[in-house]
Amino acid sequence: MYIYKTGIRLIDEKKGGLSPGSNILILAPSLSSGERLGYSIARPVEGEYALILSTVMRAVDLLDFFSESRIDPSRIGIIDAVSKLSTPDISDSTQIRYVSSPSDLTGIGIKFSSMVESIFNGEFADYGNALFPPPIRFYIDSLTTLLMYRRLEVIYQFLHVVTAKLKKMDAIGIYALNNESFDERTLSLIKQLMNVVVEIKNEQHGDFLRVRGLPGVSQEWVHFHINGEGLEVVI
Amino acid sequence: MIRTGIPGIDEMLGSGIPRGSRVIFSLETGVDGRPFFFRILRTVLSAGKNALIIAPQATERAFLSDFSQMMNTDPGMEPGKIVILDSSVRERINARLKGSRARRKEWQKTMRETIQENSIEVLFVYFDLLYEDFGLEPALQLLPSGDEYRGLTTIVEHLNLEGDSLISGFASGGYFDLIISVHSNITSVPFFNFFTLEYVSWSRMPRRSVPYTVTDRTIRLYIPKIIVTGPPSSGKSTFVANASDRGLSVDRGDVDGFKTTVAMDLGWLHLRGFDITLFGTPGQPRFDPILPQIIRNAMGMIMVIDATRPETLPRARDLLTLAYAARIPVVVAVNKVDLPHKMDERQVRESLKLRDAIPVFFISSLRRSDVHAVLESMIDHITRFSP
Repeated sequence: MYIYKTGIRLIDEKKGGLSPGSNILILAPSLSSGERLGYSIARPVEGEYALILSTVMRAVDLLDFFSESRIDPSRIGIIDAVSKLSTPDISDSTQIRYVSSPSDLTGIGIKFSSMVESIFNGEFADYGNALFPPPIRFYIDSLTTLLMYRRLEVIYQFLHVVTAKLKKMDAIGIYALNNESFDERTLSLIKQLMNVVVEIKNEQHGDFLRVRGLPGVSQEWVHFHINGEGLEVVI
Repeated sequence: MIRTGIPGIDEMLGSGIPRGSRVIFSLETGVDGRPFFFRILRTVLSAGKNALIIAPQATERAFLSDFSQMMNTDPGMEPGKIVILDSSVRERINARLKGSRARRKEWQKTMRETIQENSIEVLFVYFDLLYEDFGLEPALQLLPSGDEYRGLTTIVEHLNLEGDSLISGFASGGYFDLIISVHSNITSVPFFNFFTLEYVSWSRMPRRSVPYTVTDRTIRLYIPKIIVTGPPSSGKSTFVANASDRGLSVDRGDVDGFKTTVAMDLGWLHLRGFDITLFGTPGQPRFDPILPQIIRNAMGMIMVIDATRPETLPRARDLLTLAYAARIPVVVAVNKVDLPHKMDERQVRESLKLRDAIPVFFISSLRRSDVHAVLESMIDHITRFSP
């Protein structure tokens, strides 16, 4: 069975990583490094691909961010739910697909499927000894934004379908959510779809994380930061 | 009738959608409904009909840009007019009015005024946000009926996150005249798309599912595998060759000097809006071990028998058991009727123990029209078959 390394030592050393079909929720307050941690986990290692649903940053800014972080974008597909609001005529490319707004769940689903199809068809950077099915990390950089545009029940149903598809594809899902913006009911409903929750807190001495949902992995808060280069998580 | 512009669907519906009907495309997550929606919109505009689009999820420019890119056309150049109530309308209504009742009334007023002012004939609705804003029943009541505006046809697209129960509700509630659910299957081998005609009010049509692909912005319905089988020398290769627009055959000289198929015949054709692949099997019993593999995932079987050789009927009966085991529809083609023969339908049915529902055709596979009649019957049976 293929195992996805998370870059979080606590998980990778104890469990080897995450098994296919896993879903990891990052619960983080505002102004913490929650979204960056998501990008770090979503970063594809050799032989893998990543799909990012960006509801916060335009694809062009995201590519700059990857470039600054020295991450090779050739194995990353972006579903951009931001740019079309200001640039309606923008056209899809192999690795960047646009949807009209974060409220357009139909469009997001379509672009997700077409991106996965492109990866399966070898339209992204190909590997000599490609794995089949290709390992894919899917990252929604802000569930917070989706929940601001659509009702909780709808987002829950949508994620329910997405997580089922990821499981069928042997992929993993990563989701960032601002835990300060929503009540306990919302958080607990979203958590129902997750296997692992990484909580983040921001203190005077920096950011701390703790991992929930993985038996055998310590649930203690540990200090961490993310290196600019390669988005490496340092604990 | 309003034509959808999708060959195959128009065919199945009896040349299109009756004016004044309400239609819903219920999409599974990840399914691209645009080829259906945009194709119908383009066909409507090309026919000089005016269309109103309710698109609360997108800006007008984003919608038009998507449409133009996908259909490779400028909607402004079409004979019909396009009017859009977009996300800005929803934002304006939501900002100005409090309470869902007042907002719904405002939507209703805006829609009806726009329909009247622009002589709209076809209304296209992206339903999700209306459903979310007002709930299912009130959102459905927002849609103007054909009675209200004589001849107004309504086409709705909807992302179905609730599954079959919602579709059953639409059907039993009588909200729509045509319900089409569109599905995609992502597995390790992904992207098998198909749609299901769930309900048609104007014809007694059974529920049927059809796979499709999207090629060059066009939806092409396809039948990925029809098996053509039968006893040796019954004319299977000739059948496949004359049925197909293109194909190939793997024949070798047999011990008695005749040519025989040693692997399979393959044929591709486009018929009645469907892309079809034919797989002709070898007829010799020595190839029987591979037949179950060839038949796997087939959608139908055509049994070709030789009208001049009744002694081969037991072999045909053996082969039919494979179709029954795979629970696929069967059509029987009694071939070589251009030669002297005594076989009649009663003998065929009795010898092969055929159910009444299985059609029997008497053909010459040398005649393309005969072969296509068999295939058309096969298409009918595949698209309405329920095991």
